[in-house]
Amino acid sequence: MALPLKYNLRNVLIRWRTTVFTILGIAAVVAVFLVLRGMASGMEHTSGNTGDPRNILVVRNGSQAESGSLVTRDQFRTLQYFEEIARNEKNEPVISAELVMIVSAPRRGAGGEANTLLRGVTPRGMELRPQVTLKEGRWFTPGKREVVVAQRLAARFDGFELGGTIKAGPDRLTVVGHFDATGSAFDSEAWMDADECRSIFDREMYSSLLLRPRDEAALTNLLARIQSDKRLSLRAEREVDYYAKQTLTAKPLKYIASILGVVMSVGAFFAAMNTMYATVAARTREIGTLRVLGFSRFAIVLSFLIEGTFLAMLGGVLGSLLAWSGYAVLSLLGVNFGTLDFQSFAETVFQFRVTPDMMLLGVLLSAVIGFTGSFPPALRAARLPVISALKSL
Amino acid sequence: MKRFLQFCRHGLWLLFRPLWWLLVWVWRAVLFLLWLVNPLTWIEWVTRTWVRKFGIGHFSFVIVNAVRNQRRATLTMLSVAISSGLLVSLLTMQRELTVPPESEAASLRVIARNKVSITQPLPAKQLPVIEKIPGVVAVSPFTFFGGNFREETVTSFAQFAVDPVRFKGIIVEGRIAEGAYEDFVKDRTSCFVGADTMKRYGLKIGDRMRFTGTFYPVDLDLKIVAVFQGTVDDRGVFFHHKLLDELTGDPGTVGTWYLRVASAEVANDVIARVNRAFENTSAEVRTETERAFQMSFMSMLGNVKLIIGLISSMVVITLLLMTVSTMSMAIRERFRELAVLKALGFRRTELFAFILAESFGLAALGALVGIGGAWTFWTFIDLQKMTNGFLIYFEVTPRIMATGAIVAALLGIVSAIAPSLAVARTSVVDGLKTLD
Repeated sequence: MALPLKYNLRNVLIRWRTTVFTILGIAAVVAVFLVLRGMASGMEHTSGNTGDPRNILVVRNGSQAESGSLVTRDQFRTLQYFEEIARNEKNEPVISAELVMIVSAPRRGAGGEANTLLRGVTPRGMELRPQVTLKEGRWFTPGKREVVVAQRLAARFDGFELGGTIKAGPDRLTVVGHFDATGSAFDSEAWMDADECRSIFDREMYSSLLLRPRDEAALTNLLARIQSDKRLSLRAEREVDYYAKQTLTAKPLKYIASILGVVMSVGAFFAAMNTMYATVAARTREIGTLRVLGFSRFAIVLSFLIEGTFLAMLGGVLGSLLAWSGYAVLSLLGVNFGTLDFQSFAETVFQFRVTPDMMLLGVLLSAVIGFTGSFPPALRAARLPVISALKSL
Repeated sequence: MKRFLQFCRHGLWLLFRPLWWLLVWVWRAVLFLLWLVNPLTWIEWVTRTWVRKFGIGHFSFVIVNAVRNQRRATLTMLSVAISSGLLVSLLTMQRELTVPPESEAASLRVIARNKVSITQPLPAKQLPVIEKIPGVVAVSPFTFFGGNFREETVTSFAQFAVDPVRFKGIIVEGRIAEGAYEDFVKDRTSCFVGADTMKRYGLKIGDRMRFTGTFYPVDLDLKIVAVFQGTVDDRGVFFHHKLLDELTGDPGTVGTWYLRVASAEVANDVIARVNRAFENTSAEVRTETERAFQMSFMSMLGNVKLIIGLISSMVVITLLLMTVSTMSMAIRERFRELAVLKALGFRRTELFAFILAESFGLAALGALVGIGGAWTFWTFIDLQKMTNGFLIYFEVTPRIMATGAIVAALLGIVSAIAPSLAVARTSVVDGLKTLD
């Protein structure tokens, strides 16, 4: 079937003055949607990017996050001699009992205080997390009240720079190094020696255990063994699974993105419909001519649908590019965002992230807006009586 | 081949024709209903009646012109309505996240927490020291339990362990039935619950509430003996601190101290004194008013506030673009008429006034629908239930509504400028020649 496609597409481009605002409006809708999704996706990426699939994380039964978990020394002692756990060259079990504390610190610049996550780690724990590498300074020396902070976290808090001090109760911790954790959840943490951490905060118990089973079979075996041992009352999970579930904070953002996306799309739908109606009204005579030239009604409907969709997709592409360039600039500048993580109850640092599939979703959204918005006007165009259409001014 | 295709198309058409007609008639019925409930329909009707009776004036001329293309006017109105409704909702959201609700009694309440962070406990032996500080009327331990109710996987409302006798002097504004509080004091495994939570889960006095601890490795099983209401947040559950101590093996710690001070004037002195009392001890405290305490939670939200602000401004921009686009369409459609008016001797200022009045009127009507709609929606919806207690009040204040209205009004004015300029620039002859 012949379509006057060229006519339609040229119309969008030549009469751009009529449609430019509509296109910009749709672009803004898509951009807002993508920015919100980009925030949520950044948070999810951070938690999904954390951990080693060979590791197991053990927390107390019923606790949702490490910061709210308690593991007794008895439990630790029992667990460390399980034969499924791998041994290093010194024949020590590869298991790390760690303490997670929340320490309140002043934000850099103006703006109050926020919680930060302080982790007491052991040498084993550092080996188990190859994602974390030292960037500046040196690692802490146990017993010297020293702490190493994630580079990205350090940018957000006062006193987290090299040589700065963090106040933890009556004690002061000196920052001796900065580490980088390749965009994982550890980028929101500060690390110090586990036993020192326990003594500073006067804690009997640990928060969690991180361990490495001998092999995949031992891992499945161990998961089942810890789970079924009612005496232990602990919950074991693959480290990656644990972190992948820490997305409670991203959820409301995703909801808001969807709701805003839908509501704003309805607004844009009205605008697109308006534009297309105006387009049809302004080109009544031309449509009549097309009909006389032999284009069928169906062809007219289809061509106007394509015109409307094309118009909206121009906006969609523009909006996606806008969001993407925002992402490009932000990641080039290394800008991080931070918000309260509802699970760990501490600041989580994440990066705004726009991926190609999200951009595709944005363009798809604009296409839907354009298609539905131009449907009634396209029908109207097809139903115009030929003779009076030709006569109209 | 071509004939075969034609045949197929014809066959398909025959098959779908009844369905198609049904669709068309449903569409028409919907359109008719929409036409009937459209305020513009009624405005037009009233104006036309007026014009028939008293002749046309400037005002009725503008109205008749604005609604002449009812579909366009309606779509403009609706897009303004949606955008202004959205703007109002976002501003309300921002307010909810940045300004915690206030009450008079709350200004007399002070919370002391561990300086390290809110999650770090305080020694129970601090109590006698705090009690002796002048200006303190009442003090009670106040420990957030953070349990999950029944089978829930999130903490949807707070539970606090308190000293039942001392706590009575702190939430003075909470209304509790006569004698019920005494029942609470007597029974160590009982609790009293906010009216909102009772309603939400359909609980009644005498029911039991089970909580799985997330911060504490213990579970609670409490009997409801009293209900309170009349506070800013009627959701909490309060139980005996003794019970928590018993379950956790009496570690000698509390979460925070909750104090009531004698008057608002002495609040700052009390705060300073409490802070000083524990300086250089193993558990230094940070004391702040209840309001400041809540504000500190807001500060933890970090960039989220900024993001909402950013989105609000994007919405305003979108709104502007859409209205400008429709207004210029409306004017372009009538370019020739405006040229005729010019030829008849109407001045530029008058033409500008016509355009301005039309765009302003449509924007105002849209704002009315949008802001009114947003207000109705947020006032009558059970948001607390929907968001699991994340958003509680979501009050659309007059101030926010006024902001929305001002933005819409400015919009109406701004979007009239471009078309007016175009009309002013064009000579009568050119205007008459315009076809598009």
